[in-house]
Amino acid sequence: MTLGILGPEVSWYLAVAAFLFATGALGVLLRRSPLIVLLSLEIMLNGANLALIAFARHQGNGAGQIFALAVMAVAASEVVVGLGLIVAISRRNLDLDVDKLRTLRG
Amino acid sequence: MIVAAWICLLSPLAAALLITLLGNGISRRGAGYLATLAVLVSFVAACVAFFALWGDAPHDRSHYSTVWTWLQSGSFSAGLRVLVDPLSTMMMLVVSGVGSLIVAYSVGYMDGEDEERRYFAYMALFVFSMLLLVQSGNLLLLLAGWGLVGLSSYLLIGFWQERPSAIAAAKKAFVMNAFGDATMALAFFLLIQHTRSLSFETVFARAPGLASNHWLVNLVALGLLGGAVAKSAQLPLQTWLPDAMEGPTPVSALIHAATMVTAGVYLIVRTHVLFELAPKVEDLAAGLGAATLLLAGLIALVQTDIKRVIAYSTMSQIGYMFLGAGLGAYANGMFHLMTHAFFKALLFMAAGLVIHALAGEQDIRKMGGLRGLMPRTYRAFLVGALALVGLPPFAGFFSKDSILAAAMHDGWYGYLLWSAGLVGTFLTGLYTFRMLFVVFGGEPSAFVREHLIRPRRHGHVHHGEGPFSMTSTVAILAVLSLVGGWIQFAPLWTPVTRWLDVVAPTLHHAEATSWQEGISSGLAFALGLAGLVTAWLVYSRRRLAVPRLPFAQRMLERKLYFDEAYDLVFYRPAVGAARFFGRIVEPFAVGGSITGLARGTRDVARGVSEAQTGLLRNYALAMAGGLAVLVVVFISVR
Amino acid sequence: MILAFDAGNTLVWIVWIVAAFACLGSGIAVVSFTNPFFSALALIGNLGALAVLYLLLSAEFVAAAQVLVYAGAVMVMFLFVIAYLGGRADAPWAGGPSWQQVGAVAAAGAILVEIVVAIGLKAGGRLAHQQHVLSSFGSPHAIGRLFLTDHLLAFEITSIVLLVAAIGGVILGSHSRKLAGEKAL
Repeated sequence: MTLGILGPEVSWYLAVAAFLFATGALGVLLRRSPLIVLLSLEIMLNGANLALIAFARHQGNGAGQIFALAVMAVAASEVVVGLGLIVAISRRNLDLDVDKLRTLRG
Repeated sequence: MIVAAWICLLSPLAAALLITLLGNGISRRGAGYLATLAVLVSFVAACVAFFALWGDAPHDRSHYSTVWTWLQSGSFSAGLRVLVDPLSTMMMLVVSGVGSLIVAYSVGYMDGEDEERRYFAYMALFVFSMLLLVQSGNLLLLLAGWGLVGLSSYLLIGFWQERPSAIAAAKKAFVMNAFGDATMALAFFLLIQHTRSLSFETVFARAPGLASNHWLVNLVALGLLGGAVAKSAQLPLQTWLPDAMEGPTPVSALIHAATMVTAGVYLIVRTHVLFELAPKVEDLAAGLGAATLLLAGLIALVQTDIKRVIAYSTMSQIGYMFLGAGLGAYANGMFHLMTHAFFKALLFMAAGLVIHALAGEQDIRKMGGLRGLMPRTYRAFLVGALALVGLPPFAGFFSKDSILAAAMHDGWYGYLLWSAGLVGTFLTGLYTFRMLFVVFGGEPSAFVREHLIRPRRHGHVHHGEGPFSMTSTVAILAVLSLVGGWIQFAPLWTPVTRWLDVVAPTLHHAEATSWQEGISSGLAFALGLAGLVTAWLVYSRRRLAVPRLPFAQRMLERKLYFDEAYDLVFYRPAVGAARFFGRIVEPFAVGGSITGLARGTRDVARGVSEAQTGLLRNYALAMAGGLAVLVVVFISVR
Repeated sequence: MILAFDAGNTLVWIVWIVAAFACLGSGIAVVSFTNPFFSALALIGNLGALAVLYLLLSAEFVAAAQVLVYAGAVMVMFLFVIAYLGGRADAPWAGGPSWQQVGAVAAAGAILVEIVVAIGLKAGGRLAHQQHVLSSFGSPHAIGRLFLTDHLLAFEITSIVLLVAAIGGVILGSHSRKLAGEKAL
């Protein structure tokens, strides 16, 4: 038994994905709390995931879903490392402010 | 014979290396003895080679010996190769013989000098260089010897390196010689291009094939002449020789008598085949010789430094040799070279005795009346002076006059040269005996009394007129200056000419008849005597006053403004150009571009480092902006 | 576009609209809350709404994984850290140079507009016709088959990435002696 599409077509999903990605990017670019930056990054990743799954459905190909799962794994890893860094920073009594961590300054 | 030649060549080199390597391991005096012994060994070896060659048939007297080919390129090869033939053995004898006397003399002269070891190492090196020059079997090795002679002379003229004037003189000699080296090297390049060889026999065999190319043969001969003129201090490259008197006196003797300045004459005789292809250049060489002998004689008249007077006399006598060699009377030129080596070494070493006795004073105006105080020196000096002027039976008479006779056979140009030579003879008599009378004649001057008479009265006489090593060598040279000329008396007996005939036969137009010999000898004798008598009247009897010609005198005292002219023509423009480039081009074009590059890089780097704010969000913004731009690109492209 | 006005389709549309707006709203909330705790809670809602959208796209396994792994495990970790940091987690909302803020809004807006334009202009027609898929599409069975056949390498690499991240997290989070030494200095 095959399934046609129900509800809106893929373009709408992609629009939502784009909006999510842009929102996440805005958060990364604007916010100064590293925790919020990490959360915004998750939104960006989820936007990308939504696009992947929408395309997987559009193409009828499971590879997109596999890719989305891999992205989720990577996101989880990134959260682990990012949170570990935040904890390490706070443990050194440094400010949790992205703008104050600027040892890379040239 | 070949072994003897190699021993002759390498013995001074071994001494130089040994003295250098032993350093303090050898006493100062030991270094002197070692150098003397080495050069003496050279002389003995040269004698052995000479007598061995004597035993050969006249047309079998050229022997080459190659130990090592150190340059091989296609058909061109040059090796460490010596040549033993009548010409080179004659030069070997003169160089090592007179050289050994001079080195032995130095043992006494340089006694107590701070750096005797260095001095004797240089002396041995000098003798080695000259032997390499005269013994080399190809032009490349000759050039090596040529350059080494220049180097050794540089080192020895500047031996008293704490004197700025000595350093300047050494540099001047080196630069002038380097100019000659350069023209010679250019001539050699031409020879390599056209004959594919630098070895004597190949070049001389192939050279006549190039005769149709006038430009080429003239250029080659001019290049060789440039080298000869620079090394022999002839016009117009003569200015270094008087300044070279800054070196110790035995060095001057070595430069003037045994080595260095005679190299030019040797070169012309050795490469006479190439010169004969370019008769105009030969005439030029003879003309330069005549001009130099006149000019040097004139300048010598007003010099007040005893060594400079002798130095100008050397230039003058080398002028005679150039005259002879340029005319094609090679044997006469070489003969004069030999006798000149004897009496010039004698004059320098006798002058050295005087200078030694007067605590280094060289100004003849402060001398006077030395005849009674240094009688043996006076006699030696007199012998040298008579030989220089060319009065019979002294050596100069036999050699100089045959050169003049050879000039008579060459048309109007020959007569011009001949008369120049005769005038030169008069000048020679005049300046030589002016020096002699001023230094030795009259009453002891105040300066002499202070240095020679007062010490004697206080019982400070330590070594008569000089140490044994000095007086004995002077005595030997005095004898040689007397008898050295007797081996040839053209046209009655001519062993030197016959000896050299195989290598450098006298050109037909330079063969003098008995009558020309007679006339020349008579006139030269008369004029030399006239010069002598004039000097006697002016400087000893004071019957004649020196003519008052302030302009001419100033001209001559300034050596005809050659130094000033070179200063103006070469030095000033070079300095001006250098200053111009240093001020205008260097800071902006060269320095500016470099510093500009550096400053630009630094500024850009500083600007770029401004972008490195260390703010994470800035980097993220840059990425996002880049992404936005890239998406635009992708959309518009696809 | 032919809209089939049957009951199922309408229901799907309604679900989609609700989920999509929840998704957008919670996304904006995540970015705009000052308190990270509220942001994290908003992100959980965002993830749940996304899971609904995944279900509509017949990605059942991904939706389940999203809820279990993401909204469950990962976000719990987030909340733990936020709770651990407490008040120190509060940072100024935004700030920095104004050109940075203007640039941020401009860049984000540009990306959004560009993607919408790309979808609308360039790919509009091609996106209309969707493949018909089997009902098993996106089921755990299908995903597992794909993972262990075609995408085995990606699967293994993912596992290695997770392993490395786990080790890194342990190292970063542990009280190391070195840290104590640095403090002593």
